[in-house]
Amino acid sequence: MSHSQRLPQDPQIRALVKAMGQRSFSRRSVLSTAGALGLTGLLAACGTGGSSGTKTEVAVTDISDTDPTVNWANWTLYLDYDDKKKTYPTLDAFTKETGIKVNYAEDIDGNDSYYGKVQGQLKSGQDIGQDIITLTDWMAGRLIRQGYTQELNLDNIPNSANLLPSLQNVDFDPGRKHSLTWQTGYAGIAWNKKAYPKGLKSVEDLWDPALKGRVTVLDEMRDTMGLLMLQNGVDLTGSWGESEFGAAIDTLRQNIENGQIRQVKGNSYKQDFISGDAIAGIVWSGDMVQMNFENDDQWEFVIPEAGGTLWSDNLMVPVASPRKTNAEKLMDFYYDPAVAAEVAAYVNFICPVAGAKEEMEKIDPDLVSNPLIFPTDEDLAHAHVFRSLDADEESTLSSQFQDAIGA
Amino acid sequence: MSVELRSKDEIRAEKRKNRTGIYLISPGLLVLTLFFALPVVVLLAMSLYVKPPGAEIGEFVPGFELSNYATVLSAYWPELLRSFWFALIATVLALLIGFPMAYLVAVRLRERTLLQGILLVLLIAPFFSSFILRTQAWKQILADEGFIAQSLKFIAILPPDGHLTATPFAVVAGLTYNFLPFMVLPIYANLGRLDTRLLEASADLYASPITSFTKVTLPMSAPGIFAGTLLTFIPAAGDYVNSALLGNNRDTTMIGQVIDSRFFRVIDYPGASALSFILMISILILVTIYIRRFGTKELM
Amino acid sequence: MTTLAERTTSTVSAGADLHLSGISKRFASFSAVEDLELLVPSGTFFALLGPSGCGKSTTLRMIAGLEAPSEGSISIGGQDVTALPSHRRPVNTVFQSYALFPHMSVLENVAFGLKRKKDKQAMDKAKAGLELVELSHLANRKPAQLSGGQQQRVALARALVNRPQVLLLDEPLGALDMKLRRQMQLELKKIQTEVGLTFIHVTHDQEEAMTMADVVAVMNGGRIEQMGPPRELYELPRTAFVANFLGKSNLMRGTVTGESEGMLSVNVASHTILLPVSRAVQTSGEVVLGVRPEKITIDRVAVAGDNQLSGTVIDVSFTGTTTEYLVEVEQVGPIGTFSQNRGQQPAQEGDTVFLAWDAEHSFGLAGDESVNAGVES
Repeated sequence: MSHSQRLPQDPQIRALVKAMGQRSFSRRSVLSTAGALGLTGLLAACGTGGSSGTKTEVAVTDISDTDPTVNWANWTLYLDYDDKKKTYPTLDAFTKETGIKVNYAEDIDGNDSYYGKVQGQLKSGQDIGQDIITLTDWMAGRLIRQGYTQELNLDNIPNSANLLPSLQNVDFDPGRKHSLTWQTGYAGIAWNKKAYPKGLKSVEDLWDPALKGRVTVLDEMRDTMGLLMLQNGVDLTGSWGESEFGAAIDTLRQNIENGQIRQVKGNSYKQDFISGDAIAGIVWSGDMVQMNFENDDQWEFVIPEAGGTLWSDNLMVPVASPRKTNAEKLMDFYYDPAVAAEVAAYVNFICPVAGAKEEMEKIDPDLVSNPLIFPTDEDLAHAHVFRSLDADEESTLSSQFQDAIGA
Repeated sequence: MSVELRSKDEIRAEKRKNRTGIYLISPGLLVLTLFFALPVVVLLAMSLYVKPPGAEIGEFVPGFELSNYATVLSAYWPELLRSFWFALIATVLALLIGFPMAYLVAVRLRERTLLQGILLVLLIAPFFSSFILRTQAWKQILADEGFIAQSLKFIAILPPDGHLTATPFAVVAGLTYNFLPFMVLPIYANLGRLDTRLLEASADLYASPITSFTKVTLPMSAPGIFAGTLLTFIPAAGDYVNSALLGNNRDTTMIGQVIDSRFFRVIDYPGASALSFILMISILILVTIYIRRFGTKELM
Repeated sequence: MTTLAERTTSTVSAGADLHLSGISKRFASFSAVEDLELLVPSGTFFALLGPSGCGKSTTLRMIAGLEAPSEGSISIGGQDVTALPSHRRPVNTVFQSYALFPHMSVLENVAFGLKRKKDKQAMDKAKAGLELVELSHLANRKPAQLSGGQQQRVALARALVNRPQVLLLDEPLGALDMKLRRQMQLELKKIQTEVGLTFIHVTHDQEEAMTMADVVAVMNGGRIEQMGPPRELYELPRTAFVANFLGKSNLMRGTVTGESEGMLSVNVASHTILLPVSRAVQTSGEVVLGVRPEKITIDRVAVAGDNQLSGTVIDVSFTGTTTEYLVEVEQVGPIGTFSQNRGQQPAQEGDTVFLAWDAEHSFGLAGDESVNAGVES
């Protein structure tokens, strides 16, 4: 760090200076870097991605002491919200306790789209205006691998010890140095109890001719493909390859082409369930809890017999954020079991904080027994994590998946 | 002669006038350069980038990979053709629906300014709400359990297991609806200037109302129709919201949706850029042919 | 040069009687035409003359079928056309605005009606029509490239080539300057004589109406005040409106005091003025007596006999061929007259003069008329 601090702030100029300083530098490397300054600078500025270099090292001065604010980008409906007062109660409590003001933005509506939005700035080491971002495991893994996140100082987050033991170490963030789990959930199958009383047990059941044109599946590759591969008996965490993936793609493509699957959708699949266009499909667990709460308990969610996928969204501090200490204080606040229980009572996903179950007794005893918020060990044994993909695999598989879903 | 008679002051004033012209257009030129020319250059450059072996996701290096174009074109030409086909149908439908609307408001209600104003506002009002919300509303209107689908099933136009959403019909209907005002407004502006005395003259010269329409009203409103069709076709061809929300994943995918998924999901920047460039050039060619064929000098 | 008339008379009849009977047209807030009765014989050049808003244009539009009458019927050549839409009526109109189709060439404009009638020789006839108005060389131009006078002639040709039974002209010369207007008046008259069609010409220009028309109908307030050949209308107006609108008149109030040998004696401000019984609308009591200015002689010396007034010259204006005088007659008001320039100078401002005229030139109007009706301000 101390070495790079003396170099100019702009990473491209720095690369140029570094190249000049190296004994083995060639005319060509200087020229290509210089040339890249022009066009790729522009490309990066346009947010379309850059050209070279993997790890981003940026020197930032933490201004948390002088600037008592923190900016947090999260998904929609992912934090307790008071409809009447139009405020987030736990955020207000945090501000009251620490004096740090939180600018909370529901900025993220997809891992890929958010990555596309901020990648250019992250690559060139610029502050994206957020101190905490919330992304799913595999995308969190990509950011950490590409060096777009800052290492957390766990001394500032003593409550991080409350993270469930199974989440204390994850393969995408060895040593859990860059990320902490915000919420966790399953992808499983659900159906409308009135329109399809028969119910579903496995992914295979979705292909019942009675459901033709009324099935929706998720456009999140790891969930839809994960469930299909589990149905085929593939160990998701194991070392499966393109042939296993390809077999599942064939099933997907076939059911899209014969019209069994009506649509492949992101978050908006919920409207299809509510409007009645979809009566069964691959869904996210927390959504079903919320939808049932608002629409008279119309649907039932199960983890398929062959297993479901388990995913988590993770809090991270992006590179170049100058308010890391404030961000860490906020994280610490939310790993307090009482606060975590308050959030869980609203968002209805799996709470990753030990001790929150006991705290929930005080808030809403009914929810304590809800396996979608506090899962049983048996449920968890049924849920699998999609293994990490390297960059080439990621490109190939997601390209295959996008082509199969005709997008 | 007059040149010699001009004083130096006059010449200077003339030059100043010319310079003022340049100053006046320079903001426009700057904006065009910044927001059109540069992005196009970036897009073109990006479309030729290559992925180095073992590169991270989203990592590409400058290159001259023309095969990017061949790759995306061979993979996605059906979606490209479908985009133009859907846009064409939507444009024709918008014209068939929009022309009578524009005619009613601009010509028939010319004397009744209040009613005319109300109808115009009604026509534009949906534009005060978000494009996506409006399309989402269409999804609800056409839903399986909705009134329209149920009625069509009742009179057996739609088979019992058929549906309206997630079909090409829904996508084209959405495109037509969403771009209808782009058709109506230019035609309205044009018909608003139509001299109705010409229609009287035409009737006086033995033309039936239908003949008056085809021989006078229609040719006279050609510039409006021309502008309307272009303003509808171009955005419709590149649209992805309607196909994403109202389509299925089988036979409704349009090129805009593919570009979106190549860019944001697969993180294939060169591929997405190449597709964008192909779309841009295709539209340019189609529009040029259209202008050559129908846009005579006086129409422009 | 073969004329259009020669080419087409063999196939199409030239003109037809036009009969309006009991025509009324009421709009929401006013009545434009009231109980109009009109018979225009075939081949007549008929002028509808009146100030703006008198109902003449509405009448024309009803004949053309662009406006439906509230009451009454219209027949052309004996056929009732009241219910026929405009495009089925054997009439054509030359519009005040010309209403040429801007997207068509001059030739296409002229051929428009013929093509609608599926005339196989449409183009030939259109070319002949352009020849008639001497615009063949501009056949391929667009209307916007022509001058006002040229556009007017195209509009005329476009209507004429169809050989309508009745040709309607709605102030067709209104937009032209004076010189061009005179020229077009003559041409129109010439063409009408040549083709022999029934022309209905609407105008507010009394001079234009009189120069061109065989019969003039003066309209006022939705009614026809008087109808007849121009000279008859001028020499013997039957209402104050006609007397004032068609040329100028000196109108004075008087009382009938006696009658002998077909002459009424009228007491006008203690002067006795003679009026032929045959020229009086009313033969007793209060009457309005009129005489045209040019019929009056002006002199500084009194002459023997009646039909004489005396007064003081209050205005003299010399126009070259004539000198116009305004003479204030006590209890009567100002009387206008003029004398031909034959070298004499009968009077100067302030002179006392004597005005006299031939009794045969007096005309009598109803006593309840306003002497200012129809005076153009």
